[in-house]
Amino acid sequence: MADNDLVVNNPLKALGLEKKTKDGIRSMGLVMSRAGLGKTAILVQFALDCMLLGNKVLHVSIGQSVDKTRNWYDDILSLLTDGEKVEAIPEVMKNRMIMTFNETSFSRAKFQERLDDLVKQEIFKPECLIIDGFDFASADRAAVKEMREFMENSGLKMIWFSAVRHREDNRKSADGVPAPCHEIDDLFDTILLINPQGEEMNLEILKCDECTVDPGTKLKLDPSTLLIQKK
Amino acid sequence: MKDLSKVRNIGISAHIDSGKTTLTERILFYTNRIHAIHEVRGKDGVGAKMDSMELEKERGITIQSAATYCSWKDININIIDTPGHVDFTVEVERALRVLDGAILVLCSVGGVQSQSITVNRQMTRYNVPRIAFINKCDRTGANPYKVTKQLREKLELNAHMLQMPIGLESDLQGMVDLITMKAIYFDGDNGEKIREEAIPAEMADEAQEKREALLEEISMFSEELMEALLEGGDVDIQIIYDAIRKGTLALEFTPVMMGSAYKNKGVQKLLDAVELFLPCPTDVTNHALDLNKSEEEFAVTNNPADPLVALAFKLEDGRYGQLTYIRTYQGTLTKGDTVYNSRTGKKVKIGRLCRMHSDEMEEIDSCGSGDIVALFGIDCASGDTFCDEKISCSMTSMHIPEPVISLAIIPVDNKAQVNMSKALNRFTKEDPTFRSFVDKETGETIISGMGELHLEVYIERMKREYKAEVEAGAPRVAYREAISQRAEFNYTHKKQTGGSGQYGRVAGFMEPLEEGEFEFVDAIVGGVIPREFISSCEKGFQKSVAKGSLIGAPITGVKVTINDGAFHAVDSSDVAFQLASIGAFKEGYMKAKPQILEPIMKVAVEGPSEFQGAVMGSINQRRGMIIGSMEEGLYTVIEAEVPLSEMFGYSTVLRSLTQGKAEFTMEFASFKPVPKGVSEELVKAYQAEQKNN
Repeated sequence: MADNDLVVNNPLKALGLEKKTKDGIRSMGLVMSRAGLGKTAILVQFALDCMLLGNKVLHVSIGQSVDKTRNWYDDILSLLTDGEKVEAIPEVMKNRMIMTFNETSFSRAKFQERLDDLVKQEIFKPECLIIDGFDFASADRAAVKEMREFMENSGLKMIWFSAVRHREDNRKSADGVPAPCHEIDDLFDTILLINPQGEEMNLEILKCDECTVDPGTKLKLDPSTLLIQKK
Repeated sequence: MKDLSKVRNIGISAHIDSGKTTLTERILFYTNRIHAIHEVRGKDGVGAKMDSMELEKERGITIQSAATYCSWKDININIIDTPGHVDFTVEVERALRVLDGAILVLCSVGGVQSQSITVNRQMTRYNVPRIAFINKCDRTGANPYKVTKQLREKLELNAHMLQMPIGLESDLQGMVDLITMKAIYFDGDNGEKIREEAIPAEMADEAQEKREALLEEISMFSEELMEALLEGGDVDIQIIYDAIRKGTLALEFTPVMMGSAYKNKGVQKLLDAVELFLPCPTDVTNHALDLNKSEEEFAVTNNPADPLVALAFKLEDGRYGQLTYIRTYQGTLTKGDTVYNSRTGKKVKIGRLCRMHSDEMEEIDSCGSGDIVALFGIDCASGDTFCDEKISCSMTSMHIPEPVISLAIIPVDNKAQVNMSKALNRFTKEDPTFRSFVDKETGETIISGMGELHLEVYIERMKREYKAEVEAGAPRVAYREAISQRAEFNYTHKKQTGGSGQYGRVAGFMEPLEEGEFEFVDAIVGGVIPREFISSCEKGFQKSVAKGSLIGAPITGVKVTINDGAFHAVDSSDVAFQLASIGAFKEGYMKAKPQILEPIMKVAVEGPSEFQGAVMGSINQRRGMIIGSMEEGLYTVIEAEVPLSEMFGYSTVLRSLTQGKAEFTMEFASFKPVPKGVSEELVKAYQAEQKNN
């Protein structure tokens, strides 16, 4: 199967980021929602997009096992391709590495140390970074800023984070970015929010500096597959 | 009739060095099967009961799972002790196939290690309900809370502690039972006297809190319990036990017990848990294949009055001659019965019937469904089904991995040659992943198996048990060849050198086959190849796939279709069409872009995080692909896929890289094409070898 077969209707394209990713923009994105609505599924779709464009993706999963993370990739890829598994496509597989940490053991410094090991020994030099499970509730502005600087200094094209918003916390930024990221929204180039309404799972673009779609454009998620679709 | 609700067939599986053999030894002691305790690497020179092979005693590891029988209260327990090394996983898998439940032993210091993950995966594959036992709570650094958390996070089990330790490490005194809310201590020289007391005051609040959390968790398995909790007040203990049992049998809950087998603490309570929470034979539905109804699956009944269905899951050549371990699934087997081996179609008379207690035995007259017993002097292979002739059936086949490594063995003298043949005959029957054959070209005997250690152990056993001294060659990887595209062939075999000639033409195409080794399709119409020569063609193609032309490795995954041909009324023959097919295959094979496949192993390296970079580097150097790393406090597990050919001697390299602090396990994952450079080298070496011969 040609890899290009899969680069159709993908989330980067939906946001108008595909060409820019190829050209090498540096962009930091964030997917927010309440727990269990499909943040990981979206991150994995971004990751698969990047991998199929030939970029190396390091998926950092905080609090989840390697197997569980791998299953996400298999599930999403299998939905996109009629049953293919990542392992069956070596070109895709070699572009991915998964690194998992305990909630308590993750820190930027430690992560950087691990990444340095990989890069210096030429084992794996990621171009896209996925960080799933980062605890924004206990991270201060400085910590997130450090991650942004880290991206800029380490030659990464993009970093995508996920963040959990809590139903009971109604704080919001002027752009509508909910807590706990309402005071650090300026550090991100793109912010998406999964917002279920009735039967529909809307994917709202709260902010997108680099997107070639208009802010306010609505995407949605297929509730059964969690694949991104245009509304 | 025997009450099957009083039978438990259980296995004990774990990471090496979690102390499972010691635990089994204590179980046998408390169930009065043995009257003294011996340690695994004991100073008394006796060794633990379950490690009956000399080699096991010497290395301190369990290689063959010995079956043993014991009684706890009014429950009959059959225990299979299983090996912890991944190289012997076929033993583990076979044990799991015949078991109804298992104890997953974990070290309270090491926690969930790579081998525990493999074993857990195997238990999940065979739907085996399990109890976790956190052993070695007396060791420095023991932390059963951490291990329980790992069971939930790493193994994704809904694991909850049914006990709390009273003291830990050298201060381990006993445990609090969170169901009965009593403190339990183990007195006497060997912990045989159980003393129940009130929970120490300083632990009472925490115990209450943990009990409430536990009850809330298990209430989802029992409406009765949920109602009782809502009403408040005391909950009947039996309701709690029933809820835990229900959750455990549904594989939705894993009870966590703890203690220290070595210090004689907690083992009796674990036995109680086996009785209370693990399934009896009737709790589990096992299936057999009806050979009279094109292998239709049917559930075995467990009824001792029904026709017999029994599975031979293990063979052993011991001091009493050949022993065949069987598990009966329905019916009754009585001494003197004649049973039917559904694989061979032969009838077999049952001579002696025994319950095995490691390497001692107890003769019995009959055994009912759900039992695990041993038969004497029965000629069969491991995995055979014995049944009543009326219901010709086979138990579902076991998952048997293909061997990935081979080496040549040369007997040192004639006597060794004879003994070696005997040994190989026995081992290949005992262990389906261990194979042997004679290389026709070199005349060498080749053995193949699942890893270096696997083969090493068999070579050692040949020496010790059969007095067969052999010299072993360097290990070789079991490569395969496969085609990568469709190709056509049209070959005429013609030979006329006086007398009757040979003539045959075979045409068609070959294509890669997604699943399976070889498929032959006859699409001949109009009798261009007469019917009687079609099987000759198939034979010719079959001979061709046995040895590829790149490096002489067997060809896998190829579908050959013949759709045209020609014959001669006088000169065509069986041989002519076989040779024509061999020629046709050769012609098509090179056009079908053949490639060499190599076994890829799934490798998990576990060690202190500080060595992560070095370990990853070492995997990278070995053409390995790192799938992921899991950082757990001070330890990291790196998962990778590495070609087997690059893994020889890795244990030494890993030891020196990590000051001996890291360890690794590996198991076969798949066959994948070798990179071009490696392929060219292999072809070159093969050609040179051919030239020299």
